[in-house]
Amino acid sequence: MRHLFKTAAAAAVALSTSLAALPAFAETLTFVSWMKGEPGYGDWWNEVIQKFEASHPDVKVEMTKVSRNEYADTMFTMFAGGTPPDIVHLAAFEYQAFANEGWLADLGPFIEKSGMDLKGWAGQSTCEWKGKTNCIMLLYTAYILAYNEKLLKDAGIASVPTDWNGLIAAAKAATRDTDGDGVTDVYGLGVDSSGGSNMMHDMLHFVLDAGGNWTEDGKPAFNSPGVIEGLARFKQIYKDGLTPKDAKAGDMRQLLIEGRIAMRLDGPWIWNVMKGADPAIRDNLKLAESPLNPPVGGTSNVIGMPSDISDEKKALVWDFIQVAASKEMQQRFATLGSSPAPMPGLDYTAEIKADPNFALFAKANDKASAAGVDRLPKGLELQFNEVTKIVFREVQRMLIDDLSPQEAGANMQAAVEKIAG
Amino acid sequence: MIDFSSPKHRSKFGYLLLAPAVILMALIIIYPILLSVDISLQDVRIARIGGDHAPWTTKNYEWLFHSEEFWNAISVTARMVLIVGGISLIIGLATALLVNQNFKGRALARLFVALPWAVPEVVATVIWAWMLDSSFGVINWMLLKTGLVSQAVQFGSNATAAFMAVCFVMIWKGYPLVSIMLLAGLQSIPAEQYQAAKVDGANVWQRFIYVTLPNLAPVIGVTSVMTTLWVFRDFSIIYVLTQGGPIGATTTLSMLTFEQAFAFFRMGQGAAVGVVTMIICAIISRALVGRFAKSVH
Repeated sequence: MRHLFKTAAAAAVALSTSLAALPAFAETLTFVSWMKGEPGYGDWWNEVIQKFEASHPDVKVEMTKVSRNEYADTMFTMFAGGTPPDIVHLAAFEYQAFANEGWLADLGPFIEKSGMDLKGWAGQSTCEWKGKTNCIMLLYTAYILAYNEKLLKDAGIASVPTDWNGLIAAAKAATRDTDGDGVTDVYGLGVDSSGGSNMMHDMLHFVLDAGGNWTEDGKPAFNSPGVIEGLARFKQIYKDGLTPKDAKAGDMRQLLIEGRIAMRLDGPWIWNVMKGADPAIRDNLKLAESPLNPPVGGTSNVIGMPSDISDEKKALVWDFIQVAASKEMQQRFATLGSSPAPMPGLDYTAEIKADPNFALFAKANDKASAAGVDRLPKGLELQFNEVTKIVFREVQRMLIDDLSPQEAGANMQAAVEKIAG
Repeated sequence: MIDFSSPKHRSKFGYLLLAPAVILMALIIIYPILLSVDISLQDVRIARIGGDHAPWTTKNYEWLFHSEEFWNAISVTARMVLIVGGISLIIGLATALLVNQNFKGRALARLFVALPWAVPEVVATVIWAWMLDSSFGVINWMLLKTGLVSQAVQFGSNATAAFMAVCFVMIWKGYPLVSIMLLAGLQSIPAEQYQAAKVDGANVWQRFIYVTLPNLAPVIGVTSVMTTLWVFRDFSIIYVLTQGGPIGATTTLSMLTFEQAFAFFRMGQGAAVGVVTMIICAIISRALVGRFAKSVH
C-alpha cells in the first residue's frame, strides 16, 4: 500500500511538471480552411501561421481542415450555431451570404487605422458588400489552355488554336475513335456539362469571347446576344460529341492526363494535375494562352473575421491578416502557389526563372483583370447557386428538347429575374 | 417518503424509471422536430440558433404549395417509392425463398444476396456512377457491343434513363435488406402448416398464397414501411448519380430539402419541405403498418 501511494505521488508530480513544461498560450485563434495540407497554398498558410506565432508568442493558431465539398455547409453550421472560427477563410463566391447575414466584421476601420494600401489589389472590389469591406482578397486567377501536343499533331493540327474558329476546328479534328471499335475514345475538348459552378465557368469562356457576360451593370443579361452565342457554341460542342458528356471538371482533368482529351481550358491549378500524369503522356502535355478573349478569370478565396468575437480577438485576427497581406508573404504566396499574388508591384523574376509557366499565368491574370472579368456574376452573388442550377436546367432543356439558344437564353433570363427580385 | 412498493404508488415507480429515457427522447428527437417547424415558419435565408427570432409567417408553406418544384418532387418521390419498393419486394421475396431452400452452397448464396447491403452506400454509388458514365462507362460499352443500343445512353441528360438508373441502383442497394427480413420471416413459419396444407392437397402455388404470404404479412408490412422511408430519405445515391437532374427528373423531397436549405441557403423553405415530408412519412407508416397488422389479425 505504501509503495502504491509513493508511485501515485511520483506520477502526480511528474504529470504536473510535464504539464508546466508545456507552453502556456494566453489565446488560441481557431482557423478552418480547405487548403490545409495542400501542396503550395497549404505550405503558404503554414508559413503565415509560423510568422504570426513568432511575433505573438502567447497566441496559438489552431488550423483545422474541412474538405472543399462540405466547406460552405460546415461554415454555415458553425456560424449558425454561434461558434464561428476566429479566422474566416471562404471562397470568393460564397462569402457574400455570410456578409449579408452580418456575420463578418467590417474591416474598413482596421484598414484605415493600420494604413494598409489595397490600391490595385487584384479582385479586392469583390470584398465590398453593401458599402463595407468584409474581407481581403487572397487570390485572383485567370484560365489558360492545357493541351496534349501529340493528340493535336496526330489529328493534323500543327499549331495551338488562337481563336474560337481554330479551337472548334482543332476539337473536331482531335475527336476520334482510335481503335476502330465504333466508340469515341479521344475527345477534342473537355467541357464540364454536369452542372454547378464549374460548368458556368466553362461556358463563360464562350460567352466572354462572344462579347457577352452573365450580367451587365449588375442586371441579368442571359438573353443578350453574347450569352446566346455562348450557348450556341456550348450546344455545338455537346451535340457534335466533341466533349465527354455529363462529366465534371475533375473528371476532365483526369481524362486529360490519361491522354483521352486533347484540350481543356482551366485555371493554373491544372499544372499541378498535369505533373501527376504518366511520364509518356506528361511529356506531351503543354500549356498555352487561352484562344478565347478575354480569358475567364476570377476571384478565388478571401480572408476575414467574424463580427461577434471580442475586440481583443479581432485585434489578433487583424494582425494575422496583416501578416498574410504583407509584401514578404505575398511574395512567398507567388513562390509557393506558383501563381501571381493579388498584391500589385511584386517582382516575379525568380518565380519566372523557377517555373516557365509563371509568366503565362501572370499574363493571363493581367489580361482577365484588365478586362474586368470575374467568374462570379456581379449582382447575383447571393443567388449564385440558384443561378447555376437554373443555367444547368435550361441548358439541359435546350439539349434534350433541342431548343434554340435564343429560347434557352430567354428561359434563363425569366427564371433568374424571378429569383433576383 | 413515497413507498413505491405499495400498490398505490407502484405505477409511479414505473414512470420514474421511464423518465430518463423519455427526457432523452424528447431532447434528441422532439426538440429538432420542433426546431424544424419553428424555422419553417420563419422567412429566413439562414437560421441562427439563439439569434434574433424572425416573426412567424406562412410564407414558406405558400411558396411550397405554389411551387412547381415541390409538386414535381412529390411526383418523383411517389414514383420512386412505388418502383423501388415494389421491385425490391419482388426480388427480395424471390431471393429469400431461394436461399430458404436446402441446397449445396446455400451459405455462399446467402452471402451474395446480402453483399450489396454491406457495401457502404456512397462507395457503391460512386462505382455505379463510373459504370453508368455516358462516355466511358462499362454499361454503355456493353450495351453498344451487344447491339442493344445504337448510341450511348445519356444517363446524366436523359430524364427517363437518369430516373431508371437511380431506381436500379436503389433496388440493387435496397433489396438485400428486404431479402434478409423476409428470410427471417420465412424461417419462423411452422413446418406443420405446410405439412397440413400438403395433406389437404394444396399445390406449391396454393401453399405460397395461403400459408407463406399470410404468415409473412407482418414482416412485409414492416419491410415496406422501412423501404418506403428509406426511399423518402435517401439522398446520397441521387446526389452522386444525378444531383436531382436532368430538369428535376430525379429531384425527390430529400433532394429538394437539401437544395433549398444548403445549396440555396433558404433554410425556411428547406425546413418547410422537411416538415411536409415528415408528415407524409408519418401518414404512410401509420397506414402501412395498420393495414398489414390488420391483415394478420
